[in-house]
Amino acid sequence: MTNRISFSHGLQALLLAAALLAPLIAGPYWVHVGALAWYYAMLASSWSLLAGYAGQFSFAQVAFAAFGGYASALLRLRLGLPLILAVAAAVIMAMILGALMGALVLRLSGPYLALFTLATAEIFRLILVAEEDVTRGSLGLQVPGLFSGDSDLPYYYLGLSLVVLTLLAMNGLLFTRIGLFLRAIREDESAAQASGVNTTLHKIVVFVVTSGIAALAGAYYGHFVGILTPNMVILPEMGLVIAMAVIGGIESLPGAVVGAVIVYGLSEMLRDYGEWRFVLLGLVLILVQRFAQNGLFPFLERHFDRPMPLPSPTRNALDIEGEHVNLS
Amino acid sequence: MTYFMLLTVNGLVIGLIYALMAAGLTLVFSVLKVVNFGHGSFYMLGGYAAYYAIGLLGVPPLVGVFIAMVALFLFGVAIEWLVLQPMYTGKVERKDEYAIIVTFGLTILLTNLALVVFGPFSKSPPAFLQGTFIAGPLILPYDRLIAAAVAVVLLVALAWFLARTSLGQALDAVSQSRESAAVIGINPKRMYTVAFGLGSALAGGAGALIAPIFALSPNMGELPGVQAFIIIVLGGMGSVSGSIIGGILLGVVQGLGVGFLPDPNRALAYTQAFGALLLIFVLLVRPTGLFGRAHTRLE
Repeated sequence: MTNRISFSHGLQALLLAAALLAPLIAGPYWVHVGALAWYYAMLASSWSLLAGYAGQFSFAQVAFAAFGGYASALLRLRLGLPLILAVAAAVIMAMILGALMGALVLRLSGPYLALFTLATAEIFRLILVAEEDVTRGSLGLQVPGLFSGDSDLPYYYLGLSLVVLTLLAMNGLLFTRIGLFLRAIREDESAAQASGVNTTLHKIVVFVVTSGIAALAGAYYGHFVGILTPNMVILPEMGLVIAMAVIGGIESLPGAVVGAVIVYGLSEMLRDYGEWRFVLLGLVLILVQRFAQNGLFPFLERHFDRPMPLPSPTRNALDIEGEHVNLS
Repeated sequence: MTYFMLLTVNGLVIGLIYALMAAGLTLVFSVLKVVNFGHGSFYMLGGYAAYYAIGLLGVPPLVGVFIAMVALFLFGVAIEWLVLQPMYTGKVERKDEYAIIVTFGLTILLTNLALVVFGPFSKSPPAFLQGTFIAGPLILPYDRLIAAAVAVVLLVALAWFLARTSLGQALDAVSQSRESAAVIGINPKRMYTVAFGLGSALAGGAGALIAPIFALSPNMGELPGVQAFIIIVLGGMGSVSGSIIGGILLGVVQGLGVGFLPDPNRALAYTQAFGALLLIFVLLVRPTGLFGRAHTRLE
C-alpha cells in the first residue's frame, strides 16, 4: 500500500513540476488556456469530493462558482471593499448557502438530489438574467482585473497555487476520519448512521467546503476573464465539469484536476473540429462510465502499479485499523 | 379578458405538449427507476425526424409525427440496450450516478451531433394545416389546435394502453416490484426496454408536434427538458396521470404568468424560475408529488 501512495505522490509532484514549468515553453495563448483550465480544475476537484466521495450528485457547482464571481465583483464595485475582503466575504457567503443547501437536501438522494440542485442552479441563473439593475443581465458584468500588464502569467500562477491549496485542503480533510465517514455515507447512509457516523453533520460539512471552493474558483475566474455572464450557470458548463471529473476519476481529486486540464486543453487544441469536440466528449464520458468507472487516472495508475488492486470502497472500509486513508 | 383567455388556451396547448413529454419521462422512471437526463434531446431528435420524414419522403405532416415516434422508439430501444442494460447485469457500481452521468453524457453527445449534422440554424417543417381557427374572441392557429388534439389522443391512448392491455399491466407490475413481477413470469429486462422505447417515442412525438409551431434547433430540448423534470416531480415521480395533470397545470400557469408580470424580460425569467421553485418546494415538502405513490430507489 505504501508503495502505491508514494508512486501517487511522485506522480503528483511530477505533474506539479510540469505545470510550474509549462509557461516556459508555452506561448501566451496556452498560458491563457492554462489559467482558464485552473478554474475548471477547482470546480472538477471540488465536485468530485462532493459527488464522488460523498455521493451528493449536485448540478449546482457552477452556480456556486457564479455566485462567488458575482458576489466578489459586486462587493468590490458597489461597496468598494478591498479585493481580499470581497473574495473572503463571497466565499463565506457561499459556504453559508452551501450549509443551507446541505441542510435542505439531507433527505434527498440520487436522482431527487440531482433534480433539486439542477432546479436551484436554474433559479440562480434566471435571477442573474432577470435582475439586470444589479447583475447587468445577459450583457455581462465587467470586473476589474487583478494585475496590471497584458500578460496572463500572474493569473496562471495564481490559479495554479489556488488549485494546489484547495487540493491540499481537501486532501487534508479526507485524511482525517471525515474522509472515511463521507465514503461510508455514500455507500450506505443508514448503515453509516447506525455505526455512529453523524451523517447530518458530515453531509453539511462537505457542501460547505465544496461550495466555498467553487465560489473561490468563480471569484478567480471573474477577475481573470474580466466579465461575468449568466452563461456560467448553463447546463453545458456543468456538463463540462462533470465530464472532467468523471474522465479524470470521480473519486480522485488530483485525477479530477488532470481530467480538467486534459479536457480543457484538448477542447482548445481541437478547436478546428468545432462541435465534433463535444460529440467526442459526450462519447468519452459514456465510455469511461461504462468501462472505467473510477476514471482514467486511477485506471492508468493501476496499470503502472501492477501488484496493487485499486482500493475499492469496501476495502477501505475494512482498512480502518491500519489508519490508511487513500490519498487519490 | 380576451387576452387572458388567449393566454390560457395557448398555455393549455403548450401544457399538453409538456404533458406528453413528461409522461414519457415518468414512464421511464417508474419502470427503470432512472431519470433520463437526455429526454430533452430525444424530443429534439423527434422534431428533426419528423422534419426529414416530411421533407425527404414527402409524407403528410401527421404521418411525419408518426414516423418520428417509431424512429425514436427504435432509437430508445437501441440506447437502452447499449448504455442502460449494463446496470442490470451487475457490471456497474453506483447505479444512481451511472444513470445520471450516461444519460447526461447522451445529451452532450446528441445536442452537439445535431449541431454538426443538422446545422445551427433553425428549420421549420410545414404546418399541419394552414390558417387560423376563430370562434368569437378565441383565435388559435390550426397548427396549435391540431398539435393539442394529437397530444390528447396520444395521452388517452397511453392511459388506455397502461390500464387495459396486458403489456401495460406488465409494465405497471415491474414498476411496483421487479422481483414480484419476475415471479409471475414477466421478464423485467424486456419491460425496461419497452418502457424506455415508449418514453423516447413520447418525447419524439412531443418534439414532432411542436416543430411546426416553434422552429427546430439543436438545443430546443433544453427548456422543455427542464420543464419535464419539474412536471414529473410535481405529479409524483412515476405517476403517468400525475404528469399529465402537472403538465397542463404548469403550461397554463406559466402562460398566465407572462401576462400578469409587466416587465417582459423578468416575466419570462420568473415564470420559468417559478416552475423550478415549485420543484424544490415539492421535493422538500412532499417528495412523492401531488398525485404520486411512493417509489423506492434503484434496486
